[in-house]
Amino acid sequence: MEYHVYHDFMMHTKSITYILMGLFVVGFWGIWAFMTSRDEEIHKFPEHDKE
Amino acid sequence: MTTENKSLMTPVNIITGIILAIGVVITVLRFTKGLGAVTNLDQNNAWGIWIGFDLLCGVALAAGGYTTSSACYLFGMKKYHSAVRPAILTAFLGYALVVFALHYDVGRPYRLVYPIFLQPGTTSLLYEVGLCVFLYVTVLAIEFSPAALEWLGMKKLRNTVHKLTLALTVFGVILSTLHQSSLGALYIAVPSKLHPLWYSPYLAVLFFVSSIPAGLSMVIFEGTLAHKPWHHMMDKTHLDEHEGVILGFARGASIALAAYFCVKLVAVAYDDNWAYLATGWGAWWLFEVLGFVALPSLLYAIGSREKNIKLIKWTAALTVFGIILNRFNVSMVAFNWQLPASQRYFPSLTEIMLSIFVVTVGVTVYRFIVSRMPIFFEHPEYKDAH
Repeated sequence: MEYHVYHDFMMHTKSITYILMGLFVVGFWGIWAFMTSRDEEIHKFPEHDKE
Repeated sequence: MTTENKSLMTPVNIITGIILAIGVVITVLRFTKGLGAVTNLDQNNAWGIWIGFDLLCGVALAAGGYTTSSACYLFGMKKYHSAVRPAILTAFLGYALVVFALHYDVGRPYRLVYPIFLQPGTTSLLYEVGLCVFLYVTVLAIEFSPAALEWLGMKKLRNTVHKLTLALTVFGVILSTLHQSSLGALYIAVPSKLHPLWYSPYLAVLFFVSSIPAGLSMVIFEGTLAHKPWHHMMDKTHLDEHEGVILGFARGASIALAAYFCVKLVAVAYDDNWAYLATGWGAWWLFEVLGFVALPSLLYAIGSREKNIKLIKWTAALTVFGIILNRFNVSMVAFNWQLPASQRYFPSLTEIMLSIFVVTVGVTVYRFIVSRMPIFFEHPEYKDAH
């Protein structure tokens, strides 16, 4: 990609970084969901569960 | 007496003795003939394996001290309490050996006080690293001292020092954050020497973030190595909590490695260095990042999910190796990458032997301490006094 001014360069790299950040958020959710999927369910309100 | 003499002549002790003897010879050579006699350092490569391995890897892998103590004392995860003392001991020995090894590189050990007390260069990153390491070694020595004081039977002093635990943990986290990042920041000064894939304005962040999985993995790795020879020294609490520590730390290391992977990618995106990935250097970078950052993160996640302790232990070794590889890449492999092969640095045999000597000194002191002091067990007189 050709850059004419520094603003072009920053615009390009920042845009890619923002897209990456969005992917990272989804990725973190994915890895956490995967890691904890077999954990025993934590019952915070056992009385409520009985009802 | 005869039995004692016999028991000392074990294969491990003989190998240790040989390495220590070689180390003493190299030490004499270094301090009488200078750096040129024992190293391949030159004007282009002022820092070699003694900085790349002994210092950068030593500090990163000693991060288990602040990660474990902050998990236990700051975040209230008391289920990891049995891992604190071994982690603090490893960190203390790690940092003490960093200072010890630094003498070989810097020379003139009697002038160690100069940068801190006599001529502080307050605008220098090296000064900041030196000050932090000086303070953190002191903090770790105090944090470790209750074990030694319990062993020595100095109850009153032990109880006084023990009251400082929380303050020392906070101080330790602050100092670790400062110097783990500053070690990376040192390389921000050499954008023309370090390959663009490893160079980044985020080097400080990269070094700090990578120190967290390095520390957690080192606690698992060291615990695994210590489990067999010192099983008899471990009390029921330590043995019962061992599996929980591994599973919990694996989860933390997986997330920390994922975060490190993200910062690595952002560092490439920030300078638009994607084109380098198609080169030979790019293949080496991908080998490091995919093989020793992304893969261990995934393996830790699988191990934690499946409660597969064996997989986690192997992943810890993989991560430790990956962190060593990264520090080697930054300080040696990708450093001066544009120079012709004839001018590139490769450590001499004496440099490598001295690094092995330093590690052996650490292992010997570690063996001495864990065989005597309450590291893997609670002293009977201080049960539940934590």
